[in-house]
Amino acid sequence: MQFTSQKISNVTLIRIQGRIDHNTSKDFENALKPHLDECISGMNKKIIVDLNGVDFMTSAGLRALMIAAKTCDKQKAEIAVAALQPIIQEIFTISRFDLVLKIFPTVKSAFENLSVDAVGDYGNNLSS
Amino acid sequence: MTRIRLAAKQENLEKFLKFISVLAEQNDLSPDTAMKIRLSIEEALVNILNYAYPGCNGDVEIRFRKENDTKLVLEIFDNGIPFDPLSLPKPDLTANISDRKVGGLGVFFMREMAEDVHYRREGDSNILTMIFCRH
Repeated sequence: MQFTSQKISNVTLIRIQGRIDHNTSKDFENALKPHLDECISGMNKKIIVDLNGVDFMTSAGLRALMIAAKTCDKQKAEIAVAALQPIIQEIFTISRFDLVLKIFPTVKSAFENLSVDAVGDYGNNLSS
Repeated sequence: MTRIRLAAKQENLEKFLKFISVLAEQNDLSPDTAMKIRLSIEEALVNILNYAYPGCNGDVEIRFRKENDTKLVLEIFDNGIPFDPLSLPKPDLTANISDRKVGGLGVFFMREMAEDVHYRREGDSNILTMIFCRH
């Protein structure tokens, strides 16, 4: 599993690539942790996790996302996932993760929902 | 019947999953069916590797067979402490976020992904049977 993160306006975009299973879920937690710490400290209140590059996820991955969502909920921060592959969407649907965090079909639509300020910067980022 | 038997150790998880991937290829399973089998087997194995043999060593065996060319039957054997994963309560998926439990989805996935799941204790063996339909 690989990940990158970047700050776009007032949103942190985390891109995940690969499988999130019992062997890699710790890496996934580590990818999320510094940004959750920023939520706790009040430095950052909006996180979008781009899952377009994730083709497999076990309960260990959902566990990490649940912890992240609970942390954000407590801090009145927002976390969303976007661009799920059909197979991941199915896993989210049957486990009712639509009740846990916001799910968007594309990263752009996640930006549009979470931060009007960041949408333009996200668009510029894509074209640069 | 095809089978694999290895020590119940975390480092063997990938070998078990490789066995499942090879089965999926050999039997020309759809990506969807292969994913459901892999997810269910991984969830079941992680429980066994973590909890079946507290303080001692043991093996895990996976057996695979086809029935009528439409059903795929996977059985997981271990000789660990008696444990019926299907006895665990189903998670409350509709609870609001502050009340939702962090874990508990592994067994839920096994139930959801397989067409049918059974547990039985035979002698000193736990036997978990998962049946999948070929799509």
